[in-house]
Amino acid sequence: MILRMRPVAVLIATAIVLAGCSGSVSPAPSGAASAVPSAAASAVPSVEGSAVPAESTVPTASLDTTPVTLTVWDYYGKEVTPFTPDAIAAFQNEYPWITVDRQDLDWESYLQKFNVAVSSGQGPDVATLDMTWIPTLASNDVLLDLKALSGGMLNGAPITDQYSKGPIEAMTYGDGYVTMMNDFDAYALYYRADLFEQKGIPVPKTWDELRAAAKKLAEDSNGDGKPDKYLYAVRPNTFHFSQFLFQNGGQLLNPEGTKATFNSDAGVGALDYQVGLIQDGSGLYWSDADGDLPPALVDGRVAMFSDGPYYMGLLKSGVPDQSGKWKIAIAPYSKQPGSYLGGTGLSIPAGSAHQQAAWLFIQYFLRPEQQIRVYTVTGAAPATTAALESPELTQPDPYFGGEAPFTVFLDTMATATHFPYVAAWSQVDTIISENLDAALLGKTDSRAALDEAAVAADAELAK
Amino acid sequence: MEGTLARRIRAGLPGYLLVAPAVAVTVVFFVVPMVVSGYWSLTQYNGIKPPTFVGLDNYIALLTDPRFLRIVQNTVFFVVMGMAIGPLLGLGSAVLLNESVRLRALFRTAFFLPTMVSLVAVATVWKMLYQDQGLINDLLGVFGLPGHAWLNDPTTALPAVVVTSIWQGFGFETVVFLAALQAIPRETYDAAKVDGAGAWAQFRHVTLPGLRATILFIYIIGIIGSFQAFDQIFVMTQGRPGISTRTVVYELVDEFQRLDLGSASAIAYLLLIVLAVLSFLQLRFFGERD
Repeated sequence: MILRMRPVAVLIATAIVLAGCSGSVSPAPSGAASAVPSAAASAVPSVEGSAVPAESTVPTASLDTTPVTLTVWDYYGKEVTPFTPDAIAAFQNEYPWITVDRQDLDWESYLQKFNVAVSSGQGPDVATLDMTWIPTLASNDVLLDLKALSGGMLNGAPITDQYSKGPIEAMTYGDGYVTMMNDFDAYALYYRADLFEQKGIPVPKTWDELRAAAKKLAEDSNGDGKPDKYLYAVRPNTFHFSQFLFQNGGQLLNPEGTKATFNSDAGVGALDYQVGLIQDGSGLYWSDADGDLPPALVDGRVAMFSDGPYYMGLLKSGVPDQSGKWKIAIAPYSKQPGSYLGGTGLSIPAGSAHQQAAWLFIQYFLRPEQQIRVYTVTGAAPATTAALESPELTQPDPYFGGEAPFTVFLDTMATATHFPYVAAWSQVDTIISENLDAALLGKTDSRAALDEAAVAADAELAK
Repeated sequence: MEGTLARRIRAGLPGYLLVAPAVAVTVVFFVVPMVVSGYWSLTQYNGIKPPTFVGLDNYIALLTDPRFLRIVQNTVFFVVMGMAIGPLLGLGSAVLLNESVRLRALFRTAFFLPTMVSLVAVATVWKMLYQDQGLINDLLGVFGLPGHAWLNDPTTALPAVVVTSIWQGFGFETVVFLAALQAIPRETYDAAKVDGAGAWAQFRHVTLPGLRATILFIYIIGIIGSFQAFDQIFVMTQGRPGISTRTVVYELVDEFQRLDLGSASAIAYLLLIVLAVLSFLQLRFFGERD
């Protein structure tokens, strides 16, 4: 029996090893792919007792000048980070007992590495965090309460005086702040002003005006009866859907964060509106898998879209010959202005042993002159009001027809709403995005699509 | 008895020492993570707070979740289509190449070349071909046929990805089958001809039996690889539209990234069980009988 089982055991062992191969299926037979670890997932056992109280016990009244090395995790990228060697050297000059060890990490794998590091007690002292990660991290008590650490002050002034309402809400978890926003993302309307002028289209301020403008803008270049040029990009993801949802007076979840409300009449209306743009022929379905828009801007397929400040840099680098042809306006709305609010926050993990030094670092890089560098170096939009109102950011931009686009984004940020702070948010986000496709591609109606998403979302929220 | 055992150990010692590093690496980088992952699959764990033991809840939730079952359905479709078409194309090309074709080495290289290219690069190029203004729609336009949103239509997205995978992979099968065909003794065909067997009969009664072990190998490796499709999905569609191109491993990776480590580990183990059973069945029913 044992001898007859041996080949079976070898077979099963072989299957286990083959199933566990990571990227090692080479060459690839038909339908195969380089494998991803399945059962042999890289694992770091959890460390018991790694949780640290969220509130700091570091006194803010006096500076501790014991030499420290501050570990800073940065996902901006070495070429475009605001934490340049010069800037860090200047910080170290001002605080000579602090040595900064800035570490570059790739955004794609950042969250997993961050969680492994934090759960094993080896997290950084300061971390750049995508605001969409904050719900999960904050709800797991990973992030230090910066309000307690700072006494509510940032560089000598109240934090509430330095950010507008949207960022303050986004940084708040419970009674404290879990992050300080370094840059922000909120959506405004990008449009080809030259085409608007050519066709006599007024800048839309309402949904009806946007739909009319899109129809007038669209052209059929190949005579097949279907507009294929100068369309409005309809993006099937939660970021863009929530913009329309908020503008229509709706919310993603109930205030307790236990139930989906994106399938309300406001949500159905928001999705119906996007479906309508596609059905009119003036909306172009542009999936996340299609990547960024510049290729469609270059060949003229898209001439209008909603997106955040970082797209200004994308346009300048990706479509330089359309300089002067684009402008930015407040996104048209139905009931009230609205947008999702994202961006990058600077946080201190609760387990950091150098909380005071970390706070000094964060404060330094949130000074107005450093915040302005967020734009000049990275192309992103600084989150503090002082930077957004500075002459450097309010000067006319020749690419955008000599207008000052940051004034638009400043207004947009004031009415932007962050995603709900629930532990299951990333799962809910995925569910919403997946179900939008069914309606946008005409496979089902908006209510059925959102109701199905709501059922799945409620199940995740209940876990 | 003890003397015999000691002698056997002494005799085998050099061998054990030689394989020890490989065993150590396998234990550290495969066995230990597998055991830890197995434990995680029985817990609710987000990588931050300590895991909470939930028994088989993750498995039950997956096997009763209509969304996950649709993802499994996508994966099965991917495997069936890929393994129905790919090996056939590979065998067909190998049979053609096995004839005295001029420039056989060149054709062999041409068929095998896509296999040597990174699947990510292949998927990136095919994604461009499938675009609204890509080459495929352009070619259709030449014949007066309308273009199509191949990757943005839930009906055509997955078949489009399968075509890409087949294109990239059938060269491997061609080369393997060609080598196996050339190992079949010529005399066997001569004997069949003498017995009056035509081309089809020779193929059925000489070629196929001679390729039995190779076919088994191709299907075991191919099915294991197909069930783990990820790269081309990530590049071409990211599982969209909807979940029409989402495969089991894509879902597994997504759940890891969303820090649902318990459920992700459960998916990994379900996949392991399925692949082990399939491999066992293939060997049991189609393996060599002595």
